[in-house]
Amino acid sequence: MSRHRYFKDKLFKIMVFVFAMAGVAPLFAIISAIAVNGGKTILSVGPGFFYGLPSSPLSSSPGGIGPALVGSLILMFLSTIIGYPLAFMTAVLAVEFPESVFGRFIDVLVKSLLEIPTILIGVLVYSLLVVPTGSFSAWAGAIALAIVILPYIYTHVENSLRSIPADIRLASYSLGLSRAKSIFYVFTCEAKRGLLTAMLIGLARASGETAPLLFTIGGNWFTYFQGLGKPIGAVPLLIYTYTLTPYTNYHEAAWGASLVLLMVYLSLFAVFRRFSKP
Amino acid sequence: MKEDRLFFLALLPFGAIVVAVFIVFVSTLLYNSLPIFIHEGLMVYTSSTWRPVENNPEAEVYGLLAPMIGTLEVSFLAIIISLPPGLSLAIMIEEYLPTGLKSLMETIIEVMAGLPTVLYGMWASLFFADYLKSDLMIPLHEILWFIPIFGCMPESPYTVFTAGVILGIMIMPYMVGLILDGIRQIPKKIREACYSLGMTKYETVRILLRLMRPVIIASVLLSLGRAAGETIAVSLTIGNTYNIPECLFTPGYTISSLIADQFGNSGFYVYMASALYAGGLFLLLLGVITSSTGLYLMRRWKTSV
Repeated sequence: MSRHRYFKDKLFKIMVFVFAMAGVAPLFAIISAIAVNGGKTILSVGPGFFYGLPSSPLSSSPGGIGPALVGSLILMFLSTIIGYPLAFMTAVLAVEFPESVFGRFIDVLVKSLLEIPTILIGVLVYSLLVVPTGSFSAWAGAIALAIVILPYIYTHVENSLRSIPADIRLASYSLGLSRAKSIFYVFTCEAKRGLLTAMLIGLARASGETAPLLFTIGGNWFTYFQGLGKPIGAVPLLIYTYTLTPYTNYHEAAWGASLVLLMVYLSLFAVFRRFSKP
Repeated sequence: MKEDRLFFLALLPFGAIVVAVFIVFVSTLLYNSLPIFIHEGLMVYTSSTWRPVENNPEAEVYGLLAPMIGTLEVSFLAIIISLPPGLSLAIMIEEYLPTGLKSLMETIIEVMAGLPTVLYGMWASLFFADYLKSDLMIPLHEILWFIPIFGCMPESPYTVFTAGVILGIMIMPYMVGLILDGIRQIPKKIREACYSLGMTKYETVRILLRLMRPVIIASVLLSLGRAAGETIAVSLTIGNTYNIPECLFTPGYTISSLIADQFGNSGFYVYMASALYAGGLFLLLLGVITSSTGLYLMRRWKTSV
């Protein structure tokens, strides 16, 4: 091989690696910045950070994020409760009835939900639910989140239903089981890993989405859960709101809340990885 | 079978919910943006005046041109920034890394793709933007001041450029996923043919890249659509100011960050909310066009290889 070609090859390899490393470097920069600054905040406040109330601006303490944390958990739970059955049933419709026009139509429709910017979903839910009821509410936030996470859950459920081997399908039908019984007694057992990871994806998405909550939940940082029809807080929205304020102690609280959100996301992701690999 | 029919009918309501959500969403969007079209016609997309007036609806003027340009600038910048590392990562994962490292790298990309956008935005706003300003934006301005887009001195760390960089970092993993999907469709025999001719890896990859050109274009389009709709990270870094960003180092707005920033105030005015809905309509159309073109190119290419 000529020298010229050899060097070109090596140079290309080096360039690819340098650019690739530059591409993933921000992730490590973000994680370490959040770990250091968020760790500082949480250590200075102590365990009260997780259950305390926010402090006033310009005070020396960052305060706690208790109500937002509880609100986030409620919203994650509610939106998955709403979104998962909907995603599961529509996926069954699309996968198990491929001969029906409606099934194929639903498939396209659910996937195109991904194309609606999440802020738009928040704004539309605002005008459809918040304006008529006259109040920001946990419901509105949960429904907006459910619509956002629906296509993600759907895709995972769909893939796991499609990956059921044909012989199991045939065996089930040849036993004389109807499609409904096949799905609920045989296929769900066969695909349980996939169905579980679909739920984790939904929870992980719901934990971090901010834009759909901006005009739906009302950002209630000071009082714990008061009912589903009342305003509620959420950790990602708290981070967003606090970052936009000029107060140093709120910025510190935003770092701390980011560390909490990062831990929630990474642990959901780790469990997801654990189950998605055979 | 009768039971199957019943089951199908039992599933229909769930499908109907999705259809209903769609219909209600689209009609609400159209209905709510109607007043601004009646008020000022298509001017809403061609003018760049933003004049909210209280208690005098006739004097209100809302033009979305500036944030529309902002959206395009930020998205293109994001593409320019994410394409080189995105392509490199895909090539590295597929062509250079051994199996163990390969799955590690893919896990890292997956973590990046799913990381809540507010974390990117918060990090950029409270930490990264200052460094970006002092270490990249100011030197760029000093060296390339004669190019109009770099022609102004960055005053605040929150600019169109900052938002573009953050958005580039955020959509990079999404782009890698699309390109990897394409690379994996290329039949093994092409690679084998290249190596059997004694080609180096660089020469082989060049052949693969030329083959993949439609995939790369499709990935760029799909990422563009994704970038245009992103709100939170942009809103935290773009500086939220209404002006036509002729220079990248000035603050600006994108459509989505305009909605995030102004929708809360829109209740004080008659037409502002409607103008923002018209902005949403623009975003939706942009998304539909880019993604359907992208998906079409992707599908056509997949059947051709």
